[in-house]
Amino acid sequence: MSFTLEQFGILSEKTLLFLLLLKKDGKIITFNNRCKILFPYDKNEVTRKHITDFIIDEDVAVFKDAINSLSDENPIVDVSFSFPTKKNGLLALKFDLTLHNGLIYAVGIDTTEEYKEHRALMTISKLTKTGAWYFAPKNNEMYWSKGCYLIKDLDPKVPITREKGASFYPEESRNRVESYLDNLIKNKKPYEYTEKIITEKGNEKWIKVVAHPVIYKNEVVYVNGTIADVTDRHIYIEKLKHNEETKHLALKGIRSGLFDHLVEKNVVFYSVDFKKMLGLPLDQDFVPEEEFRKMIHPDDVDEALKRHLTNLKKDENHYYNHYRLKHLNGAYRHYEVHGFRRKDQDGNTTRMVGNLIDVQQRKLNERTIAESKNRLQAMVNNGFAYTVLLNTQGEILMTDEKSLKIIKRDFGVDPTKVTCRFIDVMPLNFKNTFAHEFNEALKGNIVKKEIERITHKGNLQWLESKYTPIYGQEQKVNSVLISFHDITEQKLAEIAIKESHIKEQELNSLKSNILSNFSHEIRTPLNGIMTVSKLLLGEKDPEERKKLLDYLEESKDRLLETINNLSNFSEIEAIKNNLNLKEVDLNYTVETSFREYKHMADAKNLLYRLELDQTCPQVCIDEDLFRAAINNIVHNAIKYTNKGSIIIKVHSKSSKNNVYISVADTGIGIDKRNVKKIFDPFMQESIGISRKYEGTGIGLSLSKRYIEILDGKIKVESKIGMGTEFNIIIPRSL
Amino acid sequence: MNVLYVEDNRINAMVMDKMLSKNDSKVIIAENGSQALKVVKEKNLDLILVDINLGLNQMDGCELLKRLRKLDILKNIPVFAVTAYAMPGDKQRFISIGFDNYFSKPVDFDQLLSVISKIGAGSDKKQMI
Repeated sequence: MSFTLEQFGILSEKTLLFLLLLKKDGKIITFNNRCKILFPYDKNEVTRKHITDFIIDEDVAVFKDAINSLSDENPIVDVSFSFPTKKNGLLALKFDLTLHNGLIYAVGIDTTEEYKEHRALMTISKLTKTGAWYFAPKNNEMYWSKGCYLIKDLDPKVPITREKGASFYPEESRNRVESYLDNLIKNKKPYEYTEKIITEKGNEKWIKVVAHPVIYKNEVVYVNGTIADVTDRHIYIEKLKHNEETKHLALKGIRSGLFDHLVEKNVVFYSVDFKKMLGLPLDQDFVPEEEFRKMIHPDDVDEALKRHLTNLKKDENHYYNHYRLKHLNGAYRHYEVHGFRRKDQDGNTTRMVGNLIDVQQRKLNERTIAESKNRLQAMVNNGFAYTVLLNTQGEILMTDEKSLKIIKRDFGVDPTKVTCRFIDVMPLNFKNTFAHEFNEALKGNIVKKEIERITHKGNLQWLESKYTPIYGQEQKVNSVLISFHDITEQKLAEIAIKESHIKEQELNSLKSNILSNFSHEIRTPLNGIMTVSKLLLGEKDPEERKKLLDYLEESKDRLLETINNLSNFSEIEAIKNNLNLKEVDLNYTVETSFREYKHMADAKNLLYRLELDQTCPQVCIDEDLFRAAINNIVHNAIKYTNKGSIIIKVHSKSSKNNVYISVADTGIGIDKRNVKKIFDPFMQESIGISRKYEGTGIGLSLSKRYIEILDGKIKVESKIGMGTEFNIIIPRSL
Repeated sequence: MNVLYVEDNRINAMVMDKMLSKNDSKVIIAENGSQALKVVKEKNLDLILVDINLGLNQMDGCELLKRLRKLDILKNIPVFAVTAYAMPGDKQRFISIGFDNYFSKPVDFDQLLSVISKIGAGSDKKQMI
């Protein structure tokens, strides 16, 4: 059964299809009622008009192209174009145009809804240079939207195939790109990539392709995709990458990073190496602020946050912060953050860009320096007596506490607060040597010097000063450490040793003197004895023999006397330990001695007199020892006095403590040179022309020793040729 | 030959005189330095013997030697030390200050006489020349 014309007429009027009959040039001949919404005129007016008068400008060419393409060989085309309407806005119609007998039969369908979407996509596609595509694996059908053609500079009329699409990729990447699609079909997983293409016109472009599988019964039946021209962005990214590489190279090895903090979003961009170092995720461009905060040392977080907020509030644009950051290896390092803030119109910070600078080494250095300084200070305070550290200008860099106290006390300056030269705060007598030694130390020499000073308490103090040059970089002396070591005790001990050494030497030389004199005193009479003996052997004359025998006797006496005195002398230690102390009347004791030698004085016709004290002075002495001492002196006086007098006196001079004895002669006297020596053992006191008396000097030296054992004193005054006077003081009790 | 003996010990001086007289020497005794200095100017001497310790307050033998050495007339006259100082080092000490010989007391006369006789022989030779 076929439609009747009437039936068709009903159909044509009741249908939703738009039916039009056009002349070959596009003039409207007739149309059905549905078309009335397209034309704002009466039907009669419309039929005289051209269809192109009613469609939007940009579709005019499309329509013209379509009708031109109609021919007897190609009688049907489809084409879409839009009509503006008063009520419903733009109507988008899709027409089938059929050429028959020189007339065009147009059948249209309302595609306004679809067109809207298409339109929007077209616009986006134009603006963003994107296109859409699909691929049906079943029949290897590839479809490209217009955008795809545009990107590839390809005429949209050229039919597209998978092979043609692949041909735009350079040979080196073609296989890889092909495998993306194959893998998607195989693995049913979406993919995206960015690759370089060479367009039909030979331009180089970068495209980003996204593909998504459509699955039916666990098989990919269809692949949907988009393509975007990302050349500009790629170039931009490449530039960024290059910049990043520059930064990377610049920052490499210094453990520092760059950051870009978007305050409103609470995210921060960090340079790649910095992220690597901290173990932050590399696939994200931005790190959330909270994530980063976790990297900060727990002890530093609060302070750092406080500083951060203060930074944001202040007017100035510089941003500064510091904290320890945890590295990938778990260790914390010190960082300083320097940045610049960007503010919006209201003055709120929107962005901060800057550097994170690794100051770990500096912190460590600072700590090491502080520690070694403290250690040095401790050493200085507890080690040396006084220590001062000077720079090359001689200014005090550091002193120990004691020195500081002295400088403050004596000069009223505090070198820890004011720059002051050491030379200005030292005792005057230090200055000369200081300048010299300091200069020596600046030349790199270690100098030691002993100095004496009087302390503020008036004691003599010996200091050993040591100047030690300290080298800085480049082996140059940059400071001098001066230490003063108190060597007073050492010095005193040294002096004591020296003194005792001298005493020992004196004793030694005294000993050898004694020996030498003893030897001399023995050899002298021995010479007489031996020679006389020899002469006696050959002498027959009795008178001569008598004379020689007298010589022999005299020499023998002298020898015996020497030996007796010597044995007394050696017994002094024994005497000291065996004193027989008794209360005696000194008048009596001295008188006894006086009487003992009276005959000798009388024999020489001397005036020999004793004057006693009126009080009978009592003294506590060893009487024998005292008598031996006084006897020697009296004997000596008579021996060396040939005329005149010997006067012996005992007197207490009203003293409660002492008794005085004097023995004065008018003998030969002793010259000044020898007066002190007469108490030395073996000093020969014999003298003179007559040579009548000789003896060892030991007598007087014994007297002196005995009197000293009794705590007494003996002094002698003498004038040569005039006489000698011995004065003895004996304490009443020992 | 003429010998001057400077000695303060009377016995030692006399026994020296006796010993040397046996050897045909004539001995002149001086008790101290000043006497000796007088004698050297008056007598023609062949040898001078000097004791060192000449008593307290007196110039000693060493001082005397110094003064004798200043006299031109004594240029070639030997001066011997005859002393009881006979500790180790004493001989060296006296020789070093200029004594021509040293004899310790008690004097070894055999040795002394032998040295004197050599001097005598030397002086005879000188005279012969």
